[in-house]
Amino acid sequence: MGNEFDFLTHLPAIMPEIGLAILAIVVLGLDLFLPESRRRSIALVAGIGLAALALTPLLWGPPAVPTGIGPEEQNQVLLFWGGMVRHDVLAQVFKVMVLLAGAFTSLMSIDVNGIGRKGEFYLTIIVATLGASLMSAAADLIMIFVALETTTIPLYILAGFKRNDGRSAESGMKYFLFGSFMSAVMLYGLSLLYGFTGQTNIYALADFLTSPAFGENPVPVLGAMVLILVGFGFKISAVPFHFWTPDVYEGAPTPVTAYVSVASKAASFALLLRFLVAVFPADMMIGGAEIHGFWVQLAAVTAVITMTLGNVVALAQRNIKRLLAYSSIAQAGYTLIGLAAIGAQEQSVAAVAFYMFMYTFTNLLAFAVVVLFSEATGSETIADLAGLSRRSPWLALTMTIALLSLGGVPPAAGFFGKFFLFQAAVAADLTWLAIYGVLMSIIALYYYLVVVKVMYVDRSEDESKPIPMSRPYAWVLGVTSIAVLILGTVGAQVVFDWALANASTLFA
Amino acid sequence: MEFNIHSIVFLIFSVITLGGGLGTVTSRNLIHGAVYLIVSLFGVAGLFILLSAPFLAAIQVLVYIGAIAILIIFAVMLTRSMTRMTEIYNRQWSLSLVVSALLFVLLLVGIILPVWGPGTANAALQPSELVATTVDLGVAFVDGNQFVLPFEVASLLLTAAMIGAIVIARDRD
Amino acid sequence: MQECIDIFNTFAGCLTASGADPGLAQFLSILLGVVLVAMGPLVIVIFLIWVERKYAARVQDRLGPNRVGPFGLLQTFADALKLITKEDITPAGADKLIYNLAPIISVVSVILIWAVVPISPLHIGADLSIGALYFVAVGSIGTLAIMMAGWSSNNKYALLGAFRVVAQLVSYEVPLVFSLLVPVMFAGTMSMQGIVEAQLGMWFIVFSPLAALIFFISTQAETGRAPFDLIEAESELVAGYNIEYSGMKFGLFFAGEFLHVFTNALIFAILFTGGWLGPFVYQVPALGIIYLFAKGSIFYLLSLHLRNTLPRIRIDQLMSFNWKFLVPVSIANLILVAFLWKVIQLIGLLPGPENASDFLAHLPAAIIMLVGNLALTVVVLQMLRNVGRRAVAANAVSTPANAELDDQPYSLPVPH
Repeated sequence: MGNEFDFLTHLPAIMPEIGLAILAIVVLGLDLFLPESRRRSIALVAGIGLAALALTPLLWGPPAVPTGIGPEEQNQVLLFWGGMVRHDVLAQVFKVMVLLAGAFTSLMSIDVNGIGRKGEFYLTIIVATLGASLMSAAADLIMIFVALETTTIPLYILAGFKRNDGRSAESGMKYFLFGSFMSAVMLYGLSLLYGFTGQTNIYALADFLTSPAFGENPVPVLGAMVLILVGFGFKISAVPFHFWTPDVYEGAPTPVTAYVSVASKAASFALLLRFLVAVFPADMMIGGAEIHGFWVQLAAVTAVITMTLGNVVALAQRNIKRLLAYSSIAQAGYTLIGLAAIGAQEQSVAAVAFYMFMYTFTNLLAFAVVVLFSEATGSETIADLAGLSRRSPWLALTMTIALLSLGGVPPAAGFFGKFFLFQAAVAADLTWLAIYGVLMSIIALYYYLVVVKVMYVDRSEDESKPIPMSRPYAWVLGVTSIAVLILGTVGAQVVFDWALANASTLFA
Repeated sequence: MEFNIHSIVFLIFSVITLGGGLGTVTSRNLIHGAVYLIVSLFGVAGLFILLSAPFLAAIQVLVYIGAIAILIIFAVMLTRSMTRMTEIYNRQWSLSLVVSALLFVLLLVGIILPVWGPGTANAALQPSELVATTVDLGVAFVDGNQFVLPFEVASLLLTAAMIGAIVIARDRD
Repeated sequence: MQECIDIFNTFAGCLTASGADPGLAQFLSILLGVVLVAMGPLVIVIFLIWVERKYAARVQDRLGPNRVGPFGLLQTFADALKLITKEDITPAGADKLIYNLAPIISVVSVILIWAVVPISPLHIGADLSIGALYFVAVGSIGTLAIMMAGWSSNNKYALLGAFRVVAQLVSYEVPLVFSLLVPVMFAGTMSMQGIVEAQLGMWFIVFSPLAALIFFISTQAETGRAPFDLIEAESELVAGYNIEYSGMKFGLFFAGEFLHVFTNALIFAILFTGGWLGPFVYQVPALGIIYLFAKGSIFYLLSLHLRNTLPRIRIDQLMSFNWKFLVPVSIANLILVAFLWKVIQLIGLLPGPENASDFLAHLPAAIIMLVGNLALTVVVLQMLRNVGRRAVAANAVSTPANAELDDQPYSLPVPH
């Protein structure tokens, strides 16, 4: 990095963020000047704007990395803004993901009572998306923390947005209390790392930690790592830091739940992957202790516990949002398999990226159906879904696609998601973990199929009342379900290869 | 460790900071707790001055004492019954004492001493000769090769948080 | 180490020259400085009280104190004696520690400001590199004292007064800081001495009269004087936060407030009208003290005049005046000034250090800044006029009962 700062060369790395900032101002202005009757178009502007911005990471892609150069030179090519962000393929994939998540969330909020016509709601979503987008690229301790907070603080607000609804207020409050505490724990870990090394760039940390000047003592590094992992565990709702998930998911306005479950989680996984690989790389030994092996084992154990708890407790749920909450805990567990399989290098990174990619579409699809259903009927219990196939056949069909994908049944995308993850696990000599994952998927299939059964087999008295659906919802449902089907068939290999391309640059 | 005027002043400010912190968590009266918190924050401001960071010290006083502590007191006063609270609502204090004592030992013995304690490489580190001035700080915030990105994102975050707070707090919809 | 020129200006240097240990001399000189800086204001306040009472009396067509000493000059001593000998009452149910601490903090927060008041080219308590920020930071502690007093008194009027204090003082700190930034930007430093010296060629009040005005209004509100004296509002709150205080504790609050007004006048003189700058000040540094106090006294009297002639405004007017008028105007002013200053720098109209004291060299820049400020003022006034007209028009159609509620001439349109 030269001392001369050339704005234009650094611009492409934050193109989506600049677009988001502009979009935020536009949305705020619309809220100010549009009359109440036309506020509905704010959601369309926000949604379409976010969807359009999802193209920017593709248009302004990462710079080409010449082959055969060392990690130092690679970082010189890929790091921008004084090392704050790293403009690589991992960031690109996840940016597309979170921007799409923001777009679909905005569109599915359009008719929701109490939030749909509020410009502030969309502004907050846009800012959260900006944070999530930066999280996927952040390469500096300062940037990591600021990006994390930029994602989470707006989400606290969003969760409590329906302030006259007691459940929403409670959800916002719970999320805020747990979240701020966990942020503090994580910040403490980050500050310890800074204190040990005097460095904030994560790509410079590893060298300092392994240098003899540091004192060859693994305990402090492990301590800092555990503190940071606690914070991440909260963000991705891994057991034992999952307890906020069901309550927050249930109480928050449903589009917000959808957003929390995909964008926040996906960006956290991107950051977690980048952080662990960069700061505690594969050959890291401090004072004879395997630092790398420690977190890999931790990830494997957490994956097992998280999958087990998520799936088993989900069996007992009666509320569809709580069911999806526990399902999302279980999904985080599957994704952690990919993290534990980091020994498979690029393959595991691509597997995690693909899994999150397909999970984004799948979960958004499921939640879009829940939004429509609960807005029309005011109910969120699974039993009330009875007869949905006769009330609104399309709705039932799309929900079925989403549930099959979550369960990992072909031709939905979830099948390939799990396939790539387990493949990476086997490649990394973690066959037992892969087998356990398969077993857990079978258990999970039960509660997903129960919902399908309720929709198709059970009868209800309201079958003659169709569920009204406006055009934005039709778009959301259509696009996401087609995406899930494509990702489950012809698109799988394409996206996987995209994530695989240049993933090796992560491993310095 | 040699004793000079610097380390004596450091000790004084440390005692103020830690004593204030201890008072904050042990006092039953919430207002007293808030006042102790202010004492503790003053100690931190003093430590900043000791570290040749007068700007941070002034900001510490201005933001933490002038704004945050005042708001805490304000909020406590609005819930007047809380200020007279003498009974303990949380009966797990003994448990939390054990946990925090253990954490303290872990941090001290496991993390702080091995890295900065006597006999380690870091202990021999001398403070940097380079004293960062307020100008350096300002430049770092707007320099593209330093921290302009987090700085701008933080301001955006604060704007969004403020708007969100107003939305949640205001009376009419 | 300092040279010994004369005992008044280079105390430490002279001590060393007469054989004292340099470290000890340094320490003694600092100690002396601290004592002087801390005691000076307390002596000054005795006469300030007299000035204030005399002035108020003249405005109200009275004579004011005229019995004790010549022109009643010694009246304050008599009052102080009375306050000290009065019974010191602590109300039952008061929080004793906080109750007793509050008046002390109240005075100390003001005296602390004096540490960064440069009274001559050579004399300043501590020329901190963040002097201007220190002024704001220390000033905010005064809020704390009033809060503590209001709460610990266990009296609802006191508490209500304290609530108003927070709302008012914390709010008015915002335009205060924004207008304070303007001279800091001109001088390129936050050091008080640096700000004064940067005004060698031209006072900053010429560069940005609007910032000066906003600063003056904000300090008036910070001290809680009329028209912003809702903190005390005798007719509503009896006496506000200090209702339960008696004797010298009350006297401390009283003295603290008077001193705060004068201190703010001095700070205003330093920030906007060149502080101790004046003819021959570099030859005879002591002259700086006279210049500074003369300038400060003018603004002090202005403040007194406002206090004695303006009625108190309502709490909602107070808040909307700040948030909907002062804050936006001060932000707009800051942006405008920053922009113009950069433009002036770019086109090379800014005088360099070689002619820093040249009045004519500063003139072009001053004219540009002044025109910019006046333009902004005109725009703001025009906007105010439109709002006022709309309010009048709305009043004309609404019922008389509603008309009174809508009476908010200061508020700018707020989008709902």
